[in-house]
Order: sequence, then C-alpha cells, then structure tokens
Amino acid sequence: MKMKSKIYTFFIFLFLYAPIIVLIVYSFNDTVTGSRSVWGGFTLRWYRKLFEDRLIMEALRNSLIIAFSASFFATILGTIAAIGINSMKSLGRKIMMNVTNFPMVNPEIVTGVSMMLLFVFAVSLLNGRTLGMGTLIMAHITFCLPYVILSVLPKLRQMDPNLYEAAQDLGCSPFKSFWKVVLPQIMSGIITGATMAFTLSIDDFVISYFTSGTTQTLPIYIYSMTRKRISPEINALSTLLFAVVLILLLFANFRQKKAPSEKAAKGGEV
Amino acid sequence: MTHSIISLKNISVSYDGEQVLKGFNLDIHDGEFVTLLGPSGCGKTTVLRTIAGFVTPEAGDVFFNETKINDLPPHKRELNTIFQKYALFPHLNVYDNIAFGMRIKRKKESEVKKTVVELLELVNLSGYAHRGIAQLSGGQQQRVAIARALANEPKILLLDEPLGALDLKLRKDMQVQLKEIQQQTGITFIFVTHDQEEALSMSDTVVVMDGGEIQQIGTPIDIYNEPKNAFVADFIGESNILDGLMLEDFKVRFAGHLFPCLDKGFSKNTPVDVVIRPEDITFVPQDASHIKGEVTNVTFKGVHYEIIVDVDGFKWMIQSTAYQAIGEKIGLSILPDAIHVMEKSDYSGTFGDYSTFSDEMEEDMILEEEAELEDENEV
Repeated sequence: MKMKSKIYTFFIFLFLYAPIIVLIVYSFNDTVTGSRSVWGGFTLRWYRKLFEDRLIMEALRNSLIIAFSASFFATILGTIAAIGINSMKSLGRKIMMNVTNFPMVNPEIVTGVSMMLLFVFAVSLLNGRTLGMGTLIMAHITFCLPYVILSVLPKLRQMDPNLYEAAQDLGCSPFKSFWKVVLPQIMSGIITGATMAFTLSIDDFVISYFTSGTTQTLPIYIYSMTRKRISPEINALSTLLFAVVLILLLFANFRQKKAPSEKAAKGGEV
Repeated sequence: MTHSIISLKNISVSYDGEQVLKGFNLDIHDGEFVTLLGPSGCGKTTVLRTIAGFVTPEAGDVFFNETKINDLPPHKRELNTIFQKYALFPHLNVYDNIAFGMRIKRKKESEVKKTVVELLELVNLSGYAHRGIAQLSGGQQQRVAIARALANEPKILLLDEPLGALDLKLRKDMQVQLKEIQQQTGITFIFVTHDQEEALSMSDTVVVMDGGEIQQIGTPIDIYNEPKNAFVADFIGESNILDGLMLEDFKVRFAGHLFPCLDKGFSKNTPVDVVIRPEDITFVPQDASHIKGEVTNVTFKGVHYEIIVDVDGFKWMIQSTAYQAIGEKIGLSILPDAIHVMEKSDYSGTFGDYSTFSDEMEEDMILEEEAELEDENEV
C-alpha cells in the first residue's frame, strides 16, 4: 500500500515537473542546429546570447518596471482597501469581498479583452497616448489588487482592535497609531501580498497581450520568439523566469510560516 | 473631597438605534477609586469609553477639571486606559511597550529608561524588560499594561474589567496590588467590573448601574447595608426581598407579622420592599419565632452553609455556620437592625425568594453571563 502511494506521488510530480525539467536541461544543450531533441553537451552559450540580445533585455526591463510599479501600487491600494473592508459591517463586507474576489475567477481573456476595449476607448477620448507601458501598469495593478487584499485582510482580522485604541490612548494621533502599531501587525500580510503581486505581474501573458500595444514584456517576447523560430534561447529565458518566480514564492511561504514565532523572538532596543 | 475631575452631564449614547446610556450624570472626585458595577450590557463600559473619548455621545457634555472636552480626541486627553485584554503591542517587548507613550511625547531616552525601571519595580517585573509579550503569563501582561498606562503620568486611569481574564487567586492578588498602586500614586481610578465582590473590596465609591442608568452611588458599606432598590439589593450579595407594609416609623409588616425596625420617614401604610441579608438571620426553635418553616436545601460553602427554608411557600436563604438537616422544621429570628426597608421601584417583584434556587442554575447563569460578555467584546 505504502509502495503504491509512493509510486503514485512520483508520477504526479513527474507529470507536473517533467516539462519544466526538460526545459531546464535543454537550456544547457550545446547544439548547432537548434535541435530540441538531440543532446549535444553542456553549454552556457544560450544564457550568454540571452544577455547580449538587446530586444530581450528591453523586454526584461519593461517587465521589471511593470512588475515593480504594479506590485507597489497594488500593495498600497490593496492595504488601504483591506483596512476599509475590515471596518465595514458584515453585509457591506460580504458584498465588498465578492466584488473583490470576482476578478480572480473571471477568465483572464475576458479581463484582457475588456481592459483593452476600455483603454482604447479612454485613449480615444483623451486623444493622446496609445496603449503601452501606462496601460500595462494599470491593468496589472487591477488584477493584482484582490491578491493583496486577501493576504492583508486576515492579518487585520487577527489583530486585537483595541491595539489601535491603545496607541491613541497613549498619545498617538490616529495616523501615527496606524503607522506605529497597526502596520507592524499586518506587515507580514503586506509583504506576502506584494510578493504575490510581483510574481503574478512578471509572468502575466494573457492580459498583457491585450493591453500592451507595441510594448514588449518578457512573456510576450517569448511568445513572439516561438512564432519566428524555436531557439534554445527561449529555454534559457524561461528557466530564468521560472527560477525568479520560484524564489519569490518560496520567500512568501517562508515568511508566512515564520511570522508567528517572529513576534515573540524580536526584541527592541534599549 | 476636592473638586470633580470628571463630570458627565446628561450623556446619551446609542448603538444601532439601541439606547445604551440615557441622560447619564456622574461626578468623579480627584483621587477617588470609583467602580462602575453592573451586569453585562448595563452601559458601564460605554461610560468608560465616553470618558476616554472612543465613544462620542449624541447628547450631553464631558468635563475634565471643569473644562469641556467633548471634542478632544482620545490622544489629547490626560488619561489612560487599561483594556480588558490588555492590548499590549505584540511587536514590542516589555520595555518598549512601557516606553511607548513617553517616546511619543519625545521624552529624553535617559528619562524614559529611569521611569521604565521604576515602573517595572512597582509592578514587580524587574528583570522582565526584554521579554517578548507572548512569553508572559496573563498576570504579567496585566502588570505590563498597568505600567504602560502609568508611564504617561495620567490624571485618571480607566480600567475596563482588567482582572476578568485572570484566575481567582491571581485576581485577588491583583486587587490588592491595584489598590496599593492607587494609594501610592494618588491617581483617580475608574474601574469597571461586573464582579460585586471586587467592587466592594477595592473602591472608595461604587456606582451600581443597570439599563444605562445609575441605580445607586455610595460607599461599599452603604451600598451593601442600605441598598436603594431591589436591583441593588439583589445584585450586591444575596438578599431575601419581601413585600412589606410600612405601618408607621419603626414598624413594618411582612411575612404575615409585625416587626420592629430602625427605618423611618415613610408615610403611614406605604407598601415597601423589605431586604434581609441571609447572614443576618439566625435559627431558633419553632416555638420561639413567628416565622416557621422547613429546610429544603443545604449547600456547604466552606465558611458557612447556605440553607434554603420554605416558609409558607416563600423560600428564604440563610447563611449560617450551624448545620441544619433537610426536612427539619425550624424558626427564623430577625433582629430589628437586620431589616432594611426600601421604597418600591420598577424592580419590585423582579427579585424575590429563592424558590428557583439551585446550584446548577446559578452555574448556568454565570456561564450565560460570560457568553454574553464575550459577545459584547466581539462587537
């Protein structure tokens, strides 16, 4: 029985990770023809080529700008929204939570197309700039927002509401009370939310595809590369992307686990 | 007594359309230990939160040293609160928690350190300065909360059922400590509790509340010996409350007989409530008393027995060190100074004999009350 379940688990993981392992292995494949089935020895050539490719570097730069600014603004907006939702009465809170959750289950293609239509409409109204970096960042903020709210809200609900009052009681203005007392309590949720937002933003393809105009992001560039010719460079690029997202996810999970014990262990200065 | 440090004038507060306080008036003198006592939901915590500034009354005024402070936000009021669940800051250690208020006021770090060390000594926690809050027991957290509040040198300390979460033994110790701290510092304490014993043993003045109104204000001894109405008599300690008729000064009729008493000043033939405390009744042979009955229940309470005696259908509670067997027929003797006569009030008839008395029921009621209290906290 035990053996069976082990074999079963093995196949599940094989099924899940085999494609990625193949991708990673072939990103180191030394081949002249660009073949993806014949192993020709180990090389780092594709990675070198990757960093020499001006277009890829530009796409990477765009992706990073978008991911940093989108996760930054989504974190601020999401935290503020979570505080607002937390202080609502139960009916209002239920409605707000459903409104918040809906974009997460809404098909991405629908979100992407609808945003494109909205932006095109807005651009024609403003009679100015076309789709590009600005619209990409706005779109990314929008779809990251619910994830930030959902990771901050539980922290707020766990917090003793008297803490905020206690800080005021000891002489803090309402804003200072939030800054000195509430924020440290929900910080782990905020960081988790920001990390989630960053990973979601950096590897988003569908919504970006519709809202990017001529701006290239990394996933869009990879997609366009596969249409021209299939190069092992893609393997290398995808491997790097995978590694970055993996590291961020591990970081987020690690933080979540660490959070409770951290409170007790952390001492202040005298 | 000196002037009033806090005056509440005609305060009205309601939550979601439900009136919690109506036309509430209270004067608190400087240096007093005042306790607001009442069952859960009576509005006592609301009074405290109104003084602290967390609740804005719909009507009425709050005065601090004769200055109106209605619109003064909580962080500008010269008073501090000790919250029911302490509300210590979990991201700071003991030292930083206590130093919090002083640092907000930008005091010198050397001064802060001196005060923190002094306060830790005052609450017997020297050596705990660098512990995390989560590493402390309930009693220790309680004392850190006291030190944190005192660090701001408040004129008034507000305490919202601060001992509610502690076990009985610790609670008694903390009662003594709090009283000592109050006497040492001379700060006005406004203490909220639903525990009548706590109120009686700690306070200079007890304010008994029910339904958003003050039922009686007085010293613990006055409140216990001279309750104003049936609610106070029932809430503070145990009472046998009977319908009576005040025939003339010093003569009251109840339980079918005429008794001499020490009360006067009622007009002739006034219907009254008569209170007799269970410990003021003594057992005599049946022939020697007008009140004869049968023992129906005996509970051992440690110091005394709690004995229920059925007299013509009215069940009396008597506390006595003398054991009586169930079924025994005995007489009850009541001396004139054991009889307390009160005017009739809205509460008359609500509290009466101990016919429904049983230990189980009492426990149920305590559990219910605790459950209610928890509900209240969640709101």
